[in-house]
Amino acid sequence: MATTENGPGALEPRPAPPKEQRFSLNAIQELEEIASHYPERKAACLPALWIAQREYGGYLTPAAIQEVADRLGMSYAEVEGVATFYTMYNLRPRGRHHLEVCTCLTCAVMGAYDVVHELERALGIEVGGTTRDGEFTLSEVECLDYCGAATVVQVGDRYFTHVTADNVLNLIEELRQSEEYTPVKLADAIVKLHLPGSSQTGGGSRTGEQIRNNELY
Amino acid sequence: MGIRNLLFEHRDVENIQDIAVYEKHGGYRGLKKAVKMERSAVIEEIKTSGLRGRGGAGFPTGIKWSGIPQNDDKPHYIICNADEGEPGTYKDRELMLKLPHLLVEGMIIAGYALRGTAGYIYIRGEYVEPAWQVRKAIDQAYRAGYLGKNILGVKGFNFDLYIHMGAGSYECGEESALMSSLMGERGQPRLKFPHAPYPTVEGVWKSPTLINNVETFCAAAKILDMGGAEYARLGTERSKGTKIFSVSGHVARPANYEVEMGTPLMELIEAAGGVVGGALKAVIPGGSSVQIVRAEDCPRVNLDYESCQQNGTLLGSGGFMVFNDRTDIVLLMKRTAEFYMHESCGKCTPCREGTRWIYKILDRITSGGGQPGDVELLLDICSQIDGRSYCGLGDAAAWPIVGAIKAFREEFDYWIAHKRSPVGPGHVPPTPEVVNPLLTLVPA
Ligand SMILES: Cc1cc2nc3c(=O)[nH]c(=O)nc-3n(C[C@H](O)[C@H](O)[C@H](O)COP(=O)(O)O)c2cc1C
Ligand code: SF4
Ligand code: FES
Repeated sequence: MATTENGPGALEPRPAPPKEQRFSLNAIQELEEIASHYPERKAACLPALWIAQREYGGYLTPAAIQEVADRLGMSYAEVEGVATFYTMYNLRPRGRHHLEVCTCLTCAVMGAYDVVHELERALGIEVGGTTRDGEFTLSEVECLDYCGAATVVQVGDRYFTHVTADNVLNLIEELRQSEEYTPVKLADAIVKLHLPGSSQTGGGSRTGEQIRNNELY
Repeated sequence: MGIRNLLFEHRDVENIQDIAVYEKHGGYRGLKKAVKMERSAVIEEIKTSGLRGRGGAGFPTGIKWSGIPQNDDKPHYIICNADEGEPGTYKDRELMLKLPHLLVEGMIIAGYALRGTAGYIYIRGEYVEPAWQVRKAIDQAYRAGYLGKNILGVKGFNFDLYIHMGAGSYECGEESALMSSLMGERGQPRLKFPHAPYPTVEGVWKSPTLINNVETFCAAAKILDMGGAEYARLGTERSKGTKIFSVSGHVARPANYEVEMGTPLMELIEAAGGVVGGALKAVIPGGSSVQIVRAEDCPRVNLDYESCQQNGTLLGSGGFMVFNDRTDIVLLMKRTAEFYMHESCGKCTPCREGTRWIYKILDRITSGGGQPGDVELLLDICSQIDGRSYCGLGDAAAWPIVGAIKAFREEFDYWIAHKRSPVGPGHVPPTPEVVNPLLTLVPA
């Protein structure tokens, strides 16, 4: 059956994604360390996609997916299946700040939709859109699980809490001045969380094996 | 009964995230006791405590632990479910932020008792801040010799602990989907008992696997410290110990409250400062998956597994949401349905299609297009999902809708007859005008 969504040609094989190798030496070492945590290399797929999201500038291009597949010995389709399943992998570019407003149950009754409307008005975009200057992308998300602090807005690796339609513009101003909460920073933080010793060295550690053998300290 | 800070005992101590401070307040005492005991005695201690899983289902933890084979030579994996995604719940978040060592200690104890090879903490991708505290705790525990090789001088007790971050999916909290995700796949559930062995026999990488919630591991650490019998003195006949409730919604002081099992529901509302913005209308006591309780019925409910069940709801994960009389139940259920529609993994038809139908009908009703018979239609669809889905998410999508129709049937009828909210202007949640909720369905 021809799919109407992708139009004519949907059944033809897609052109192979461009081969590109953007993982830095450091990224490769991180990936190898993380892969050593599991009995199977494939298990590093989620962390590898986080690394790719960072190395490719905040979102996953077909080339990024291909590189992950190559590095883990998986097929392109398998990795693409994973990348499209999880909402935090970006398949399109995002603004420098991705505003993810929780509109789930508690937030919804505590005024989250007013926050969304105020943001749409102030930024001149609808939910799902990105401002022309590439500063902000606005999304609605499901429960961020800090409901006691409703309304919660996630930006990068940070939760902003008790956001209301009245104070949300201050948040926008604060973010305009900041480089802290970009999609790349978020991906980087998540990669680092996998690395043993990263809380002490403040960065990547190539000494996971030493740590596990009680050699480091 | 009432507030009982057991896991939270040292929550507010300054710098309790630091291993030295944690040890000064009795930290790692449970582990030190455990490694002096026979492995089977540790499991026995958990059994004695009567602890039941705090992730939602309430399965007896001691029985789960004893399901791990004792005399095989396969690796054993210990997994912590820190994917906390149930709307209304944020207890695991606070436990990891404030008491990361309690979790780490609990997992090492399980690693000892069950001859674990390695442990994985599966943390939802959004929880970067809590995860950093866990990262720090693990790094400190390695340095102190609580992790790594020959832990605490016990020959052959080797245990490693890793963090595995999710990437945005409620379904990954379901334990078999979590296993898929940990193994690098889409977060879809796997075949379950009786069609496949229990995870404790064959879980990740075909090896025995223990999966417990964050709060469960934290409680296990406390139990080893205080003794199972002492823990079992708290709570009721069949619901032992304490439970953390995440209180949110229309209360004066929303926060996590740890109460002794069996505490009257109304007492928890009082502890949270009482209802604000109007009179109490309803409570969802255990997260979005459980049935809503009308205000009139609240005084009858105690916060333990049995009492909740007798009153037509569930204790669930402890996501305790309080709603005042400005709340429109039908709109609330529409938002609930939207959540499950969005989070359905798509593997099985009753859930994938059913959740969409529930949402569409509720959307029709709340857009003023409700038709007579819509409520029956909803009930019919729910009965086709409940018990017929591949995993618990389908059931969890049906229960709250059926529960709300039972408790607030008149509000559904009002919407259908009058095409407007029975609550009147200023109701919450608002009827979305500009926002098109379907936009959130567009793949990211
Ligand atoms: C759809 C769905 C979502 C779930 N989400 C979570 C979760 O976020 N955290 C959790 O601990 N358990 C969750 N569970 C329950 C787990 O499947 C499992 O029962 C639990 O992690 C076992 O740990 P426990 O025995 O310590 O409760 C979920 C179950 C279902 C069906
Ligand atoms: S019930 Fe079926 S479609 Fe729904 S989440 Fe579970 S497996 Fe997926
Ligand atoms: S409803 Fe917004 S954080 Fe849970």
